Amino acid sequence: MAYITQYKYYENDGASPKDENWGSYQYVSLADVVNNFMLMYAGNHSLVNNEERFKVLFHAKRGIQELNYDAFKEIKILQLNVDGNLRFVLPSDYVNWVRVSVYENGVLRPLTENIQTNWSSAYLQDNNNDILFDHAGNALEPGNSNLDLDRIRGSKRSIYLNQNSSFNGLEGYCCDGNWYFDYSIGARFGLNTETANINPTFVINKQAGVINFSSGMSNRSCVLEYVSDGMEGGEDTKINLNKMFEDYIYAYIEYAILNSKLGVQEYVVGRARKRKQALLRNAKIRLSNIHPGRLLMNMRGQNKWIK
Amino acid sequence: MINSVRNTVLSVLNKNNYGYISPSDFNLFAKQAQLDIFEDYFYQYNYQINKENARQSGTGYADITKGYSEVIDSFSVTAYLAHIAATNRFTVPTELTTGSDYYLINKVLFVDGTSLKEMEQVSHSKITMLLNSLYTAPSTTFPAFTIEESTLTAYPDTINKDEDVKCQYIRYPEDPKWTYLSLTGGEPAFDSTASDYQDFELPLDDEPDLIMKILQYAGMSIREIAAVQFAQGAENKDDADQK
Repeated sequence: MAYITQYKYYENDGASPKDENWGSYQYVSLADVVNNFMLMYAGNHSLVNNEERFKVLFHAKRGIQELNYDAFKEIKILQLNVDGNLRFVLPSDYVNWVRVSVYENGVLRPLTENIQTNWSSAYLQDNNNDILFDHAGNALEPGNSNLDLDRIRGSKRSIYLNQNSSFNGLEGYCCDGNWYFDYSIGARFGLNTETANINPTFVINKQAGVINFSSGMSNRSCVLEYVSDGMEGGEDTKINLNKMFEDYIYAYIEYAILNSKLGVQEYVVGRARKRKQALLRNAKIRLSNIHPGRLLMNMRGQNKWIK
Repeated sequence: MINSVRNTVLSVLNKNNYGYISPSDFNLFAKQAQLDIFEDYFYQYNYQINKENARQSGTGYADITKGYSEVIDSFSVTAYLAHIAATNRFTVPTELTTGSDYYLINKVLFVDGTSLKEMEQVSHSKITMLLNSLYTAPSTTFPAFTIEESTLTAYPDTINKDEDVKCQYIRYPEDPKWTYLSLTGGEPAFDSTASDYQDFELPLDDEPDLIMKILQYAGMSIREIAAVQFAQGAENKDDADQK
């Protein structure tokens, strides 16, 4: 069967969208993976026999998910403005984050994840601090906890050296218009480099599906780099994987089936596991694109004087 | 082949004036014998696959599996399944809808425009869980089906139009019928030009098996144990030789 024509590749045969097939040759589709596996690795004379296709499909998808988490390096990027509640709703296909940045004046500034929490849930309490319940016996919750309210109002202090720093506005030394010692009165030595960042900070509330920012981020443009699981919203036709991992995914499916099948000898399972792992290592090395040209660029920095 | 089989059967039966079977009895026994041997092909095929996996089978002229699969394939039929209007259900192959009853459905295909997608048969114990599964729910890329009585239900339920589903199946062999002309004195003479004439559909090398099977039925019919024992012995020897 012929691959797509050059016209189909570049112009999508005149249909929209034009870029439908750009770069598609890097990938093999899920349908092809399952079909090839059933054809080549399952049957009367194969290790895998009498297994339903939906099991192969399940393991293929699980394998692709695992690859998406780290090996693929297929980073998705979303830019949104942070709303007045200092929230950034996580994308619908979000699994884990890679980097959060603020984008302004044409520059991306990576943000720091706050090592402390900046959000919490809360229950309504009376004057005696007893929790209030509704008629169904559920604890009543306020719209925002005090922690959230303070953060949204900008009154929450931060251990980071940004505008919410607890030292901000306190006594210091001004020299030529710059404040050099933005600390409380009294000697204080050293700097906690972990918190020495002027930019706003964030904490991800996974259950709520939002990124909560400190007050400096209101209405600013946020760029989220994240990884998904490659399931493309459950659209089977859109799921694919890089060809570097094609052999690995077959080995993974074979191993997953043999590993859960009754009566398969341990040495057969062991062999399948080793093959799978070796192929994963190979694919990762290939995808890392280590080649002399790149190494040369890195090594050029070795003679640079650091002042 | 049917006339040759009948002549041989009658020859063996009449050797010691054991008896005679009528054309209608012969046709009944022939049908049973053919079905018996037809079904045995599938077991033999499986047996040979196991021998291959045990590295006890050869290639080329020693490829016994190939011979079995060729015979089975000669009963293969591919046809669109009749659609039950306004549903995702289709009628399984029958004499009425596809021209023949099925012995075994080998594969069912979803005709998705110009491409064919193989549908997977799923047991009733699994289909509900499968439909609720986020990862493996049937889709037009990976369609599935279940069979209940004479109805095939396709999943996803968007597979619901005429000529959406095609099926490749192994049909039953046609019932053999030895047709004849009645001569004076009541002696039947073979007539292969009759409209209802039907020869055996099994290959020629099955003739000895057919004869032995029919002899067994005929021997039982005329209560001649010697004929049954002779046929059984010959059949057992033949089976042993083929192992």
